[in-house]
Amino acid sequence: MKGRTSVRIVVAIIAALACLATLAAQSAPPPQVTAQELLNGLPADGSRWLMFGGSYANQRHSPLTQITPENVNRLAPQWVFQTDTAGRFETTPLLRDNVLYVTGPLNVAWAVDARTGREIWRYKRELPPTGNLTACCGLVNRGFGVLGDRLFMTTLDAHLVALNMKTGGVVWDTALEDFSKGYASTIAPLVVKDKVIVGVAGGEYGIRGFIDAYDAKTGARAWRFYTIPGPGEPGNDTWAGDSWQRGGASVWVTGAYDPELNLLYYGIGNPGPDYHSESRKGDNLYSDSLVALDADTGKLRWHYQFTPHDLHDWDATEVPILADLTIAGQPRKVVMFANRNGFFYTLDRTTGKLIVGKPYVVTTWAKEIGADGRPVILAGYVPDEKGSLTCPDATGATNFWPGSYDPAQHLFFVNAREVCATFYAWKQEYVPGERYTGGAGQRATGPDNRAWGALRAIDPTTGERKWEFPYISPSTAGVLTTASGLAFSGDAEGNFLALDSRTGKLLWHFQMGSALHGTSPITYMLDGRQHVLVPAGTTLTAWALSDSPRVPATR
Amino acid sequence: MRSIYFVLVVVIVAAANLLAQDVYLKIPADPPTKNPLEGNADAITAGMGAYRVRCADCHGMDARGIRGPDISQVWVRGRTDAALFRTIRNGVPNTEMPAHPAPRTSDLDIWRILAYLKTISPTTAAAPGSGNATSGEHVFSSNCIGCHRIGDRGGNLGPDLSRIGAARARAAMARQIRGTMGSFRTGYEPVTLTTPNGQEIQGVKKNEDLFSVQVMDTRERIQGYLREDLRTVSDEKKSAMPVFGPDKLSDADLDDLLSYLESLQGITPAPSSAR
Repeated sequence: MKGRTSVRIVVAIIAALACLATLAAQSAPPPQVTAQELLNGLPADGSRWLMFGGSYANQRHSPLTQITPENVNRLAPQWVFQTDTAGRFETTPLLRDNVLYVTGPLNVAWAVDARTGREIWRYKRELPPTGNLTACCGLVNRGFGVLGDRLFMTTLDAHLVALNMKTGGVVWDTALEDFSKGYASTIAPLVVKDKVIVGVAGGEYGIRGFIDAYDAKTGARAWRFYTIPGPGEPGNDTWAGDSWQRGGASVWVTGAYDPELNLLYYGIGNPGPDYHSESRKGDNLYSDSLVALDADTGKLRWHYQFTPHDLHDWDATEVPILADLTIAGQPRKVVMFANRNGFFYTLDRTTGKLIVGKPYVVTTWAKEIGADGRPVILAGYVPDEKGSLTCPDATGATNFWPGSYDPAQHLFFVNAREVCATFYAWKQEYVPGERYTGGAGQRATGPDNRAWGALRAIDPTTGERKWEFPYISPSTAGVLTTASGLAFSGDAEGNFLALDSRTGKLLWHFQMGSALHGTSPITYMLDGRQHVLVPAGTTLTAWALSDSPRVPATR
Repeated sequence: MRSIYFVLVVVIVAAANLLAQDVYLKIPADPPTKNPLEGNADAITAGMGAYRVRCADCHGMDARGIRGPDISQVWVRGRTDAALFRTIRNGVPNTEMPAHPAPRTSDLDIWRILAYLKTISPTTAAAPGSGNATSGEHVFSSNCIGCHRIGDRGGNLGPDLSRIGAARARAAMARQIRGTMGSFRTGYEPVTLTTPNGQEIQGVKKNEDLFSVQVMDTRERIQGYLREDLRTVSDEKKSAMPVFGPDKLSDADLDDLLSYLESLQGITPAPSSAR
């Protein structure tokens, strides 16, 4: 009797301990995203993708090598996720602890099980009636930022919201500006230290653009940099009269960050009105520029204006990519920029001085970039009521879809467009909240003006093209490269493509049913298998090698 | 009889509008019945630019129609500002006329375009064509029906012409028939595929990408082909439609044919039959 009791007590104690251990395992707090993880970028083990460009340098270049040029033809779909919403993806998903965090059109967002494609939670923002929204070019979103246990997303009604990563619940919600005045926000936030960096769209609605930093904990604004200087500030005199008040210069594509220099690099949108420029005589700083800002204060360190006094809607809203290069025997810290105006630029990212400026598509409006860093403009390319034919068109030589950079090959990859347009301009009065472009561009057609495009590999030390892969029409897809020598991208007809990044040779393709419009695939490791995740249209599709063995992760 | 059909159509259109309003809750309140910007000089200038960029490709710089119909006659034919506004805003279903939704196109954008269009529109109706539509139908049956379809009869290689009278200007149709129009409509570009054994497949291109091409061949077989299975895929410069010069089709026959084509305004939905 006594023995049995003691056995019972021992069993009870063991059971209690086991229970405690289980509880402990279950309640171990999930690891939080740290500022150090963000600094580390894409890790060698492929366990994370935590920001828009993969790393602060925006290279979209993965160290993963399981999928190679030799075996890429064995890619097989693992699952497909459907949004069940109207509109299409323009997003870069994030991956953390085997869960994907994805933003979609109309400010719907999801946490998705990366193993199965099953939804874990869904967030849907209550938006004003869509007829009242002013996002000029689609009710889209370009992705989350993340820090700690919070996700950050901008909204079409110009707010920034912080969501709980575990539930999708709103933690805080801060208005950037009044959306009824033409402001909207679609940019993927960039998290730097304890701040969330965002910008506003609205360059076609007479806004005054800005870049903001918000405290990740509270949502309180830490600083604001107006992309158009106010009265008394240097550069305000580059806008005639009061045109600076509604000059546009929006910010809707995520910038880069150099932790050593503590500088943010953001491309700034076009001046408004886009085409009729009489009212805004001057260079119109900092429209169509790259600005370098102190990440702690938002103070301007330097700027480089690609297109002074723009007449063609050539926003500098492309993705800046950072790299360390050797040019003319000298080590240079550079920022590379394939611009909408037709030129490819390599700038010194400490000083903003031009190193390389060279056309990468047919470019008719400027002869070259002069030694002073300004374009040498040719006569006859000013839009008017009759229209003037200019290359590239208003959408530009490239646009917001991100390129990639392979540091081992020193190659910059971008989907370039060969399209010309007739540009018209007319005088237009400003009405708050109304579209304010003063003209339009119309794509040129006919046998002499065939619109096409190509994936191009550019040497950033010279601006020379190493190879190109031509498409039958211009692609709007981003690019992902891997250390194994692969470039993933897509064409406008809906094909997902894998190419040899060293030669441009096509290795494998799959018809997704919708183009990778503005999206680029991401890649990561899951249970020992390298995955490539493709947002296209209303779907996310996860790909892995059909014969790669599954190795469940242990933690 | 005709007036009964007219009333029926009006009722059906009105019912469809009501239905549409129930389904799409966000359709804004009806616009004003009269263009608030009519005669406004700034609006006309802005409207001219917008018209040239967004409308002229199909409707012509002079609004007399190229691929799209002549829209200089809309007011003299009794269309109202409000109806024209709705046509631009919502587009015309199953045609190339797209919708122009907000926020990309604001109410003011549409009024500006209409303000400009009014300035280039005549105040009196153009004289109707002199041809005889009944004779024109015979011309059609002996020359065109092999490739073009009207309702339930005719071929499929060329565009369906059941509502061509509503979609194209008379002058544009004349140019097309006489062979003086250079462009092909999307989906009807002539193409020749050559198989590895040298066989040629001629037809019109329905779609294509880097790896494949989808065609309707001259026997009206619709089929997709992989480029890797073909020796060549050649885009032809010449339209699949023969040129009907004055030697093949007299001016009088052309006049009759055009009058017949103008009478083709689409298929009126039949009411459901009682059981």
